[in-house]
This record gives sequence, C-alpha cells and structure tokens, in this order.
Amino acid sequence: MSGGNINLVSLIKRFADVTAVDDISLEIGAGEFFSLLGPSGCGKTTTLRLVAGFEAPTGGQILLDGVDVGHLAPNRRNVNTVFQSYALFPFLTVEQNVAFGMRYRSVPKSEVARSVGEALDLVQLSGYEKRRPNQLSGGQQQRVALARALVLRPAVLLLDEPLGALDAKLRRTLQVELNALQKQVGITFLYVTHDQEEALTMSDRLAVMNHGRIAQLGTPEQVYTEPADAYVADFLGVSNLMDASVEPGGGGGGACRLALGDFTLYAEGGQLDATGSVKVAIRPERIHLYPRESDGPNRMPGMVERLVFLGSTTQIFLRLAHGAALQTLIRNDGGGVPYSQGTPVSVHLPPDALRVLPDPGVSVAAIHDETLGDRVPDVTGAAPTGG
Amino acid sequence: MNRSATNRRRERWLWIALAAPGAIWLIVLFVVPFYAMLAVAGGSVNPFFETAIPTWNPLHWSSANLSAVWHNIAGSGAFIGPPALRTLIYTAAASAISLAIAYPVAYFVSRYAGRRKALFLVLLIAPFWVSYMMRMLAWIDLLQQGGFVNSAMSLVGLPGGTDWLGGKSITVILGLVYGYIPYLILVLYAGLDRIDTSLLEAARDLGLGRWRTFWRVTVPLSKPTIIAGAFITVLPMIGDYFTNQLLSAAPNTTMIGNAIEGQLLSPGQTGQGAVLALMLLVVLLIPMIYYAVSTARASLEFG
Amino acid sequence: MATGESLRALPGAPGSVTRRVRARGNPWRRPWALEGFTWLYILWSIVPVAIAILFSFNKGASQSTWQGFSTKWYVGAGVTSVLHNPSLHQAVVQTLKLSIITTLITVPLGVGFAIGIDRWRSRTSSGLSLVMIFSFVVPELLLAVALFMLVTQLFTFLPLGTTAEVAGLVVWNFSWPAIIVRARLVTIGKTYEEAAADLGASRLSAIRRVLLPMLMPAIFASAVLVFAGTVDDFVIVEQLSSTAGTQPMSVLIYSNVHGGLQGPALNALATIMLGFSLLVALIGFAAYRWMTRGERKQGASEALTSIAGM
Repeated sequence: MSGGNINLVSLIKRFADVTAVDDISLEIGAGEFFSLLGPSGCGKTTTLRLVAGFEAPTGGQILLDGVDVGHLAPNRRNVNTVFQSYALFPFLTVEQNVAFGMRYRSVPKSEVARSVGEALDLVQLSGYEKRRPNQLSGGQQQRVALARALVLRPAVLLLDEPLGALDAKLRRTLQVELNALQKQVGITFLYVTHDQEEALTMSDRLAVMNHGRIAQLGTPEQVYTEPADAYVADFLGVSNLMDASVEPGGGGGGACRLALGDFTLYAEGGQLDATGSVKVAIRPERIHLYPRESDGPNRMPGMVERLVFLGSTTQIFLRLAHGAALQTLIRNDGGGVPYSQGTPVSVHLPPDALRVLPDPGVSVAAIHDETLGDRVPDVTGAAPTGG
Repeated sequence: MNRSATNRRRERWLWIALAAPGAIWLIVLFVVPFYAMLAVAGGSVNPFFETAIPTWNPLHWSSANLSAVWHNIAGSGAFIGPPALRTLIYTAAASAISLAIAYPVAYFVSRYAGRRKALFLVLLIAPFWVSYMMRMLAWIDLLQQGGFVNSAMSLVGLPGGTDWLGGKSITVILGLVYGYIPYLILVLYAGLDRIDTSLLEAARDLGLGRWRTFWRVTVPLSKPTIIAGAFITVLPMIGDYFTNQLLSAAPNTTMIGNAIEGQLLSPGQTGQGAVLALMLLVVLLIPMIYYAVSTARASLEFG
Repeated sequence: MATGESLRALPGAPGSVTRRVRARGNPWRRPWALEGFTWLYILWSIVPVAIAILFSFNKGASQSTWQGFSTKWYVGAGVTSVLHNPSLHQAVVQTLKLSIITTLITVPLGVGFAIGIDRWRSRTSSGLSLVMIFSFVVPELLLAVALFMLVTQLFTFLPLGTTAEVAGLVVWNFSWPAIIVRARLVTIGKTYEEAAADLGASRLSAIRRVLLPMLMPAIFASAVLVFAGTVDDFVIVEQLSSTAGTQPMSVLIYSNVHGGLQGPALNALATIMLGFSLLVALIGFAAYRWMTRGERKQGASEALTSIAGM
C-alpha cells in the first residue's frame, strides 16, 4: 500500500460567524495512525470532513500525496470515511453494503464477491453477508462500516469517533482490534475522538485541538509527559494544575525555582525560562507521600481529604498546606492503604516530574471547564456529537 | 476557492431542476388562478350573455362588483349577512363539539391503549378511507323519514316523525362534526403521543394528582397540537357548502360557501361571487399565514 | 404506602380505625370512563357506514328496510346497477381514471419538489415552500372557484372535464407527497448520501441508489393518500367538470342524493369507492411494512400513523 500522506497547509474553515478550523497545518505520514483529540466544538470533526470532502475549505490547502484535493468532490478522492453513526444503508444486506462502492470502479462481479469476502474476513464478520444492519449489534455494524470503507483500498481511512456509541468494555476491545487492523492493512488512519485514553492508546501521533487550533502535536508519550500548555496538560488525564510564581534568579541551568504559597519548589520540566505567574502540573502517579515528620527537598505538608477505591488502584485526594488540591494514586497490591481521611502527610513532588506551563491568565477551575468543552456528562454512554 | 464555488453552483442546479416541475405547476395552477379570480372580481359583465369579462390589468380594475357585494352584506336587502353569521356559529359549535369528543378519545388511545394501540388506530383511521360522500350518505339513510333514527326514537317513545333532513341546524352542525372529526382526532393523537411520559411522571412524582397533572401539565403541553388541530378543522369547515346541501338543502341553513356558489352560478353575478370568495380568502388569510409560517418554522427547527 | 394504609383502614381489619379510604386512591386503575367513551365514538363513527354498506346489498329498493341479501345493485341486469347502468358504470371508470392519472403525476412532482426544496436553501425555496403549505390550508371551494375562473377565462385552451379536473386535483393533493417526503427527508438527514459520496457515488447516483430507496416508504404512503384523496374528492371535480360524461362517483352521488337514482345503487357506488380506497390503503400498508423491514424499530402503530400522513 503506497501513499497516504496527508498535508494540511494553513487550513481554514469559516461558517457564517464561526471559525471552526483556524489555520491548521500538520503533516501525517503514510501508514501512520494519527488522532485528532479534543472536546466537542474544537474543530476536529470539521477538519476530518474537510479532508473527506464534505466541506470545502475557506482557505489553505489539503494535499493528499502532494496533490491538492481541497476542491475535489468526496467521490473523487481516494479517501474513505467510517461515520460516527456508521451510516449503513438499512435497505441493503451486509454484503450489498460492503459492495456498494465497487459499482463505481467497474469491477467484474466475481471480483466483487471475492473482495467483499476478504473485507468481511478482515473484520471477522465472515458469514454475516445476508444479514441486514438492523439485525447486527453496534460493534458488528461498526465492523461492516469498516469493511465497506476498506474494501475500496483507500490511501487514507478517516474515522469519526467510531467507538463513541459503544459501551466501555467493547470500546476497549475494539481499540485493540482497530490498531491491529491498521498495522495489518498499512493504510493511514486519521482518527477523531474526544476520549483521551483512546487517543493515547491507539495513536502513533496525535494533535490536541482547541477552538479550531492545534494546541500540541506529538507522540502520545510526548503529549502526556510534556504538555505544552495548561490546557493540554489538563485534557490528557489528571494534571494537578497549581498556581505558582517564578522566583527571580531561579535555580539556573536545568531547574526553575518556584514559589507556591510560602513554599519553594524546584521544577525541571516545561518552560524553565518563564517569569512571573505560571501554572505547574504534575501527573498523579509521580507524586509520593511520606509521613508528615519526614523531611527532604521539594516536599510540602498536606492532608489526605478523601480516598476512592478504583479497583486496581486507590485514588487519594490531597489538600496542600497553601490550599491547592492534588490527586495521586497507589496500587492496591495487597499491602493495604496506609492513609485514611485526615492523615497529615508530607507530599513529595519530584523536580523532574514538575512541569512549568505558561499561565493562560485564567483560574484552574476555568481550565477544567474548558477541557470539558460542552460535553454533557456521559450518563447514557452515548457519545456527544460535534467537534 | 473558485472551483469550489462553481461546484456548489452546479450542485444547486440539480436541486432547482428537481423542484422545478412541481414549483411551476404550483405557481401556474395555484397562484395564477387566484389572480384570475382577482381579475374577474375587478372586471365587468358582458351585457348580452351575462358572462364575466375579466380585467387583467390591475390598474383597470373596477370596484363595481365590490360595491355590489358590500351592498349585499351591509345595505338594505342584504342577504349575505345571515349565511356569514351562520357559518361562524356552525363552525364554532361544530369545532367545540369536535374538540370535546376528539380530545378524550385521542388522549385515551395515546396514553392508555397499551397493546391495543394498533387496533384502536386502525379503527380511528378507518373513516379516513371512507369518502366524505359515503359518510354523509350513511347519515342521510339513517335520518330519512323512514330511517333508523326515527324508528329508534319511536321505539323509546319519542316522536318518530322528525324531518331531520329538512333544514335543521342541528343536523348540519352534527354533520360537520361527523365529517371533520377524524382529522382532528388523528392530529390530536399524534401530538399527545409525542408528549414525553417522563414529564407526566415527574409531575405525579412531585405530588400532583391525576386531574391536576392533566390540567397543569398535559393540557399546556398539548396546546400547540390543539391549535394545529383547530386549524385543520376550522379552516376547511368555513369553506364547506356541500354538508349543508346534502343534509339540509334548505335556505335557512346555508353557509357562506353556499352563498358564493349561488352567486357564481347566477348569470351576471360571477364577478360578485369572485369578490365574495376573495373576501372569505382575506378573512382566512391571517390564520392561514399564521399556520403556514409556524409549520414552516417548526420544520426548520427539526431540519 | 397508600395500599398498606388503605388495608389497615378497612373496617373490620384488626387494629384498624374505621376510616373510609375511598377507592379513588388506586393510581393504576383502568380508565373505564375514557375507554367506554372511545368505544362509543368508534361505534358512532363506523356503524352508520357499516349499515350503508349493508344496505347496498339490500334486495329491495329501500335504504332503511332490510329485504334480503342481493348483489343486484352491483351486477344485476334490468335495474340501475353499477355494471349495467351506463352513467353509474362510467362514473366508476372516471373515478379510477382520475385517481390513477392524478397519482401518477402528483407523486413524482411532489417528491422532486420535496427533495429540491429541502436541499436548495434560498429565499425562493422558502417562498415556494410557503406557497405549498398554503395549498394545503386553503379551503377547497376557493381553490376550485379560482381554478374554474382560470380555465374559463385565461387558459381557455384547457377544456373543462377530465383534463381540468386532473390539473386541479394535482394541485390540491400536491401537499401530500411534498410534506410527507419532506418530513422523512429531515429524519433521514444527509449522512447516508455523504456515505454514498464517500464511497464514490455522484450526486445523482447517491439520490438514485440511496436516497430514493430510503424514501420509498414515504413515497408510497403519499401515493396512497393522493389516490384515496382523489377517489373522495368532490369540490374541485364538480367545479371543473363539463358534461355528465366526466362525472366521477363522488359527484354522481352528490347530485342524486335527493332523488334521482335509486337509493341502494348509490350505496353500492359509495361502497365501491370505499373498496378502492381500502384496497389501495392495504396495499400501501403492506408495501410500507415490507419496505421498512430493514430498519424497523417501530411497531404497527407508527406505520399506521405514517400512512395517515401524520
């Protein structure tokens, strides 16, 4: 499978008074599994639709293997889409659905049957040819949608939150399957999701989007451990954002001296040359707790507020002396949890785990709201639309 | 940028081409006829044949017919007044009765029918497929002098010789009810069915009894449906003339529709008939526009 | 809990205070009154028609005294039967002619209109949509009169009679397919056509292979309604008819109700009209159910209301 390189150059899309995609440039290599991650309304789905051809760009270019396809109709691009609602044609059987696009390629009938069989085999649905979409489960429908797109051997496969309508366990299984499938087929996957865990597990690289722009682009590990700003840090898991200010003449070299309330901490990650007020982030798994009496660098007194049993781990909610709230977790490895509500502790924040991030000028709570987007809390398990 | 605009323009032509035949038919055979009616209304009469001569140029429209009709409405010897008034009374009475019957039935079928819903729906939809003519015919048979209604009445001791079909208002009113109620029931059913049960359950949960839930939750929620139903019932009823012809055929139960018919069929008065029809149209225009605009807006909300 | 308390409150129950708890405390009782009322309405609605149908098979000439079963009003020789009486006979033919031709014209026109107007977003399209709704809401008499004037004064090349009747009937019934198909379009949404385009279909191909099949149930439902509506129609046809040769059943019944043809013959005619409508409705219902078998989450009740045009 050759090709599948996508290049978005200064892509802009405006609808009436809303700029959904605000000058995006990125390059996706052939055969890459690339995710667009962000909350509802960030522009990720619009970007996908631009690549697919359902929207025409207001400005910028969409290059597919070097060719500008921005103004080609969707049926003329070598790109196929798996829709969030699957969009299986209800009046056709599984077999007829998968074969639908082959009509436009003047493929002989025997060839069609064979390809359909292969595609269904690929998604592990052999034997379901004569079924109708309404006789299939959600996961099966999604696989038919996949087969229908893949049978045409596109250079790029676009997936618009395909796992959104499925329950958590099925979602996790299919994530693994999709990944394996992509490696097997070797096509570029452009995947849109609002679920950060999904993006982190499946992608080779991902772009976190916010308000039509790319907040950060990188591998999952890069984006998780080295978030570029407070927004990205907070979007990808717990970030334990705190307000701090840089002390003048700070540590020098590879460290930065910060003041959190009355306490001094050294941070070795992030924007070490920042000045003034900043935000500081640390991942929960990097925080260590010690008995209150213990002493050492980068430690602050705190108190355990709440413990939440999560199964394999226990989440510990802390309150630092100067008021900030933090989360950490410990593995339930049989040794019991040595803390309870109200235990005073000494909270160790290792310098290499602390990241200094530019202060966007809003409170931590406001950042939390923003990363939530306009998502309604997921009580039904149904995916939010938009983005 | 230019290629994309051309694509969009090309696409548009497809939609316009699809809509065009129907649109043209609509304009030629719906809009233009009303203009023709205006032309006849503003026109004159051929003195020999007493046929109408339409005046097509709006600048040359004469108000002769208009003043004649106005005279017939408001002047001495006016004969339009009674039918117009009767139309209002009959329509109001028939609509009220229809609503009083239709609402409970629709309410029952939408809320309480359970597994028998399909059965009830079939029974409620059945009159749809029975033509208006047949339904009136059925009642004519029953209301005849030797018919079942009179026989039944004499069986229970009431006078069995009433001439139901000889010009009784009640017959016409009930005829209107019988004729138009199926539409009302279905519209009400569709609307009531759409009411979210959880809203009613919430009201009960919060302490409202059955009656109070009905008056304070169900009825307000069904108000738009009632209004829609009212339109579907009242507007056609006002233009009705055949119910009266079938069930009464007497001059003391005529409605405005009969008056228009009468004028149109009288030689030399076609223009006045046109004026009368236009006046009726104008009167109905406001509710018609209201209904049309709110329907259009409602479909936009969903679309 | 209400039930528990009421049990304890029953007179004679051990340790109870003899308080009368009224039976209206049960919140789950069946609404007998409403149900009875509904059945009464249904009877009032259907029984007169049933009697009329019955009497079309009456051996005698009365419409109110049963004199035995006979099909003479339909096929009997020597009486005014539908089969043998020329004016009755041709009325049946005329009704069929009008209904079929009108349906064949109205449905494609209306479907194209619905699809086109829905996709062509502009002020003109909203205006046309408004005009269409007006045609739904205007009293039939006014439209019939206006059409009469049009045909006699302006389009004099259009003869009164079948041609004019069809022209008028198409306008009158236009809103059925326009509204029903439009509503269904809104429900379907753009996604399926986008999927088709994504898979390689041109606009037209997407409409042909995806949109139209998905619209089939709605198209069918509207065809059924147009057909039944035309069988029934009376006002427009009467205004635009010319000689007695172009009178369909509805007009014939109307003009003969107060005398004229013998009673049960009219009943027979009306029953035939009913038969046509019912047959088409049943075919439509069956076709609708068959066509939506791939996407049916609805039960029979939803299908019924769709057919009725809600």
